[in-house]
Amino acid sequence: MSAAAITDEIAGIALRRHGGRGWWILFAMSLALTVMLAGGIVVLLVRGVGIWGIDMPVAWSFAITNYVWWIGIGMAGTFISAALHLTRQGWRSALSRHAEAMTLCALAVSGLFPVLHLGRPWFAYWIMPYPDKMGLWPQWRSALTWDFFAIGTYVVVSALYFYVGQLPDLAAVRDRATTRGRQVFYALLALGWRGEAADWRRHATLTRLLAALAVPLVFSVHSMVALDFSEGLLPGWHSTIFPPFFVAGALFSGIAMVILLSLAMRRAYGLGRYITDVHLDKLAKLMLAAGCVVTYGYAAEVFTAYYGGDPFETAVIAHRLHGAYAWTFWSTVALNSVAIQALWWPAARRNRLVLVLVSAGVLAGMWLERFMLIVTSLYRDYLPSSWGMFYPTLWDIVFLLGSIGLFGLLFLLFVRWLPVLAIAELRRTEALR
Amino acid sequence: MNATDALRDALPAPGTPRFWRALEELLDDASKRPLLENAWPGLATIEPTLDRRGFLRLLGASIAFAGLGACSGPPPERIVPELGRGGDTARHRARYATAIDTGNDVVGLLVALRDGRPMHVDGNPKHPATLGGSDPRMQAAVLDLWDPARSSAPLRQGQPASWADFEAEAADLRRRFAASGDGLHVLSGAIRSPTLARQRDALLRRYPGARWHVHEPAGGANATWDLADLRIIVAFDADPLGTAPGHVRHARDFAAARADTEQTTRLYAIEPTPSLTGRNADHVWPVAVSDMPFLIGMLAEACGLPSPAVAGVGGVIGDRHVADRIGLIAKDLLDHRGQAQVLAGPYLPLSAHATVHAINRHLGRDTAPTHAPPSDTADLLAQLTARRVDTLLILESNPAYTLPEFGFLARNTIHLGRYVDETARQAQWHLPALHPFEYWSDLRRDEDVASIVQPVIAPLVDGRSAHEVLALLLGGVTDDPLRRIRDTWPTLADDDAWTEALRDGAFHADTPADPAAPPTEDDPPGPADETLELVFRPDPHLWDGRHADNAWLQELPHPVTTQAWGNAAWISPALANARGLRDGDRVRLDLGDRHVEAPVLVVPGQAERSVTVTLGHGRRTGLGAGHGYDAYALRARDGQWHARGLTLTPLGERTELALIQAHQDMQRRDIIRVGTPGHPPQPARGTPPSFYPDAPSGEYRWSMSIDLDACIGCNACTIACQSENNIPVVGEGQVKLGRRMHWIRVDRYHEGSPTAPATYHQPVPCMHCEHAPCEVVCPVEATVHDGEGLNLQVYNRCIGTRFCSNNCPYKVRRFNFLAYADFARESLDAMRNPEVSVRAKGVMEKCTYCVQRIQQAHASADREGRRIADGEVTTACQDACPTRAIVFGDLCTPSSSVSKAHASPRKYALLEELNTRPRTIYLAAWRHPHPDWSEA
Repeated sequence: MSAAAITDEIAGIALRRHGGRGWWILFAMSLALTVMLAGGIVVLLVRGVGIWGIDMPVAWSFAITNYVWWIGIGMAGTFISAALHLTRQGWRSALSRHAEAMTLCALAVSGLFPVLHLGRPWFAYWIMPYPDKMGLWPQWRSALTWDFFAIGTYVVVSALYFYVGQLPDLAAVRDRATTRGRQVFYALLALGWRGEAADWRRHATLTRLLAALAVPLVFSVHSMVALDFSEGLLPGWHSTIFPPFFVAGALFSGIAMVILLSLAMRRAYGLGRYITDVHLDKLAKLMLAAGCVVTYGYAAEVFTAYYGGDPFETAVIAHRLHGAYAWTFWSTVALNSVAIQALWWPAARRNRLVLVLVSAGVLAGMWLERFMLIVTSLYRDYLPSSWGMFYPTLWDIVFLLGSIGLFGLLFLLFVRWLPVLAIAELRRTEALR
Repeated sequence: MNATDALRDALPAPGTPRFWRALEELLDDASKRPLLENAWPGLATIEPTLDRRGFLRLLGASIAFAGLGACSGPPPERIVPELGRGGDTARHRARYATAIDTGNDVVGLLVALRDGRPMHVDGNPKHPATLGGSDPRMQAAVLDLWDPARSSAPLRQGQPASWADFEAEAADLRRRFAASGDGLHVLSGAIRSPTLARQRDALLRRYPGARWHVHEPAGGANATWDLADLRIIVAFDADPLGTAPGHVRHARDFAAARADTEQTTRLYAIEPTPSLTGRNADHVWPVAVSDMPFLIGMLAEACGLPSPAVAGVGGVIGDRHVADRIGLIAKDLLDHRGQAQVLAGPYLPLSAHATVHAINRHLGRDTAPTHAPPSDTADLLAQLTARRVDTLLILESNPAYTLPEFGFLARNTIHLGRYVDETARQAQWHLPALHPFEYWSDLRRDEDVASIVQPVIAPLVDGRSAHEVLALLLGGVTDDPLRRIRDTWPTLADDDAWTEALRDGAFHADTPADPAAPPTEDDPPGPADETLELVFRPDPHLWDGRHADNAWLQELPHPVTTQAWGNAAWISPALANARGLRDGDRVRLDLGDRHVEAPVLVVPGQAERSVTVTLGHGRRTGLGAGHGYDAYALRARDGQWHARGLTLTPLGERTELALIQAHQDMQRRDIIRVGTPGHPPQPARGTPPSFYPDAPSGEYRWSMSIDLDACIGCNACTIACQSENNIPVVGEGQVKLGRRMHWIRVDRYHEGSPTAPATYHQPVPCMHCEHAPCEVVCPVEATVHDGEGLNLQVYNRCIGTRFCSNNCPYKVRRFNFLAYADFARESLDAMRNPEVSVRAKGVMEKCTYCVQRIQQAHASADREGRRIADGEVTTACQDACPTRAIVFGDLCTPSSSVSKAHASPRKYALLEELNTRPRTIYLAAWRHPHPDWSEA
């Protein structure tokens, strides 16, 4: 396949913008859910977080679950494009662009929740260190403060990496655009890319630099998210395994989402030549590996609780395994630990239906896992007098579905406006072959 | 819709626009003028001359009104503040001694005023019924005063009227009854005011044919016990610590006796349904009411008295433990002759009281019987049915709710009450009553002690007291409210004596008390059989329903079940097992031709085949409407306390109950430590090391100690804190969601078998941990430590992450999930403590150790250049505690009471293994179970 053909095909997708009826249906659905989310946000701001089912003792629930879930999903894009870039895994070129786009969309959705979950979201900026005349600063011992920095840096670097990486592709689309409007649009985005050797050299340096920055950030951001819990002294949260456990969990759910999006895009745009079964096979293997680490985490949680013998820890594990929310634990195990074992067989890794089912299961399982970790630790902690249940309200569901809608909306806009695969990288990989 | 409602609908909602503006608009709008004329005939005549001058005059007046808001001034007569610490009677924060009737008890109060507004209530240390302690009903009196739902103007046939109209009506009545008074009936609660008794006598003298009826739907014993120095107490269906009159005093005496852990003090509670007394007993023995006379007879026999004839055969006769237990109790009583007493509850039959009286005489204690005085409403009902009642005057009573057979059959029913309640809705006349903080009166506790009720504020509504309404009927020449009271007390004629009586709030009454009606009607429970037994009990907070409009009391958890905002039918765990019922299952209770539908609640310690229903809930008007069920509907007659032959049919539906504490099992965790003579409590383990710096070394180190041996779980602390710290009420739905706001809660844990559990209470305020887990996790430093060891919550800085609450192992933090504080009602604004911020939506709050009081003490100590003395700072919960279980003070002063508590061998910190180093510490509970007591 010639280099020009690759450019023609991928740029063509961006320029023709034919998603067909499927795109419009999905777009309409996502838009509807997003409008619902916007309505929910208005109600939330007017009435307060009490519209959700949170209470004392379960003061965190869906909002934080959604936040952790989405930020975890976002991890895979950066990992695939940056870590595999640094380790020179050529096969990643077919996956990097849409995986990175997924990262940004997921981050955008994720970032809403830590703000919206606040009792007074309009003061969210107080978490930032900024010069004010009262000399007030954030409280540096709190994981939430560092969480802000971790997420903030991660968002900036991911966005830069995503944008810088596709400068040559934007230029390619600009050069193939036929209408004036599109020429101007893509020309502005391409920042005057001319394809000179110096351009390419700087581009390669910057990409490598950003990749080198992004990889540790991936780990730091998910470790920080984990510290939001393990900093607490709550049994079930106060655990040293949380940071690596959360990193693995993030990669796990992220890859599941990449698999689903890759399959969908391959089908919608006929990209079978680029996103091959080999890619899916490798992603499935990665997902299996991450899933095994996550499973180890579950086992370690249970083991250390009983090995340590702390009565509060063992009580929380007992409540997780047999309590009112035991179904979330066992569903999590079924979806995240048992179902993925099918991927040991190569045939299963190449079977699209199996991949779709397992990946969707992993996404659901990871949401349930976060919910389980948060709620089962909170609903029964130290003093039985304060124990209480959490029941979601309709508004909890609205925000969960709305977040999915918003993610879908952003991703659908990406596939319609930007080159869906990394043209330049694919060309280089093709040339090296 | 009546005229005021119509007018209210026409006006903008309260809060935003000012009334003068709305009034002006209303008067301008010709179409709405009739509304105003209907509702406020007097107001409509004001000419809306809105020329420049008229406008400015109106503007000036309205600004003055807006400034006053719901606030009114002091009463016109001279009132006398109590002497505060160091004789401090500063006008802007004076405290006045007065007294109120909480339903079955007369208690002395100190009302704390801030800038002329009654804001907080404490027990009067000089009043023997309280000795400075409080109970929830006393504390809630402040909200009653400021309640925006109070009735504010007379109603005739449901339409607004004026007092002038009623005065005309009264003149008409005087003429109508001038001849004989036949057909004039008055219905009131128990008369505890000597002046009211005097007016009653005057009324009956003037109208010889008139009749006066007393209606106390929840009963009311007419004597209290003296529990001081008692070593052995055997309570037969008696609740000296919970609902009995004098319970605040009883609690103090009981705790004081128990505080001496060297001596044996033992409380046996034999009761059909758990009471606060049973919950604090060393041994609780659930027994059906019908078995109670039998057991009392057995006890008399075991004490060596001739066996009284007991009708019927006790259902407990087959129980092999019964004889053992009765023998053991009798021996314990006889061993402590002179310091032992048997208490019989007010609901037991007269014969049982006589036997108990004999036992007590035998034990060297001569006690007055405490039988509930009868209600004499039967006569009234008969007269009503026979249509012989022409005019019925109802003084602060609500028979339409509390007396199911009551009908509005009089030609003319006149109702005086603080709310437009069930009776007011149907009466020809409704007259708004004043709150006891607004008028002159007097109250007599018993033979010896009386109090003058002095107004602390001029009336907030256009109401009158019962004295004034009776004076209208009597048609006296002058009506001087102060003269009326002073005439009752010739011994206080001397102004110095009068001043002293007002200042102290209690004085020795040397006139004979109004003779109590002799108990005539007996209520034998009927012989035991296989049917279920129904037990009626008043709600300890709402009493007979008269406090159902008080949101604080509605939201306060029931001291036994922790249920708020409603009631349930209590069933025993055994019955629940047999019928397959769970908490919240709805059942139909049938008794003869009466029935109610109610959710059940499984209550440990309930007698196996007794079902308890509590009165006071299920009101049809006001705040209590829609919360709980109305147990009066099961009553065959006024004053019925138990019945046999109840059937209970599950309906297959469920209701979620607003239970504040759903888990009452300690899960074998080290939460409440208990010692017995053989097994002293586990000592504190000492402070583990920490990486964090040690305690902040300020000038003071504030600390609180809570003595679990003294705490009886009465909830007075919770509501006192609510009053002091402007804590909002959240309502039944939010309580069900687990969003109550109380800063100090009282946890209850059961131990042993659910049939007859031992129960322990633990008040839990903020622990003010030296190494506070909440502070570490707040990203914006909204919760910080000060140099004196207080864990402060900075509301303005809080953004509401709620991580602090998640990380609080004691779960004492409370979050404003929605906008709970009511900013719209001005009268609630006037009630609030101006020194405590009202918290906004989305903000975390919690116990502050009453930091405003600490700051106050700092200010006066700084002004005088001295240290804050021990006892100078007291927290609201500490002040309210009837047993003095809560002690607050400075650890830097070695002689302070809190330092002494820290040195107690019973001291321990809650969850001390977490190394949070709480400043709130506990003293382990102590019980004296009898070593030979056999568990059934």
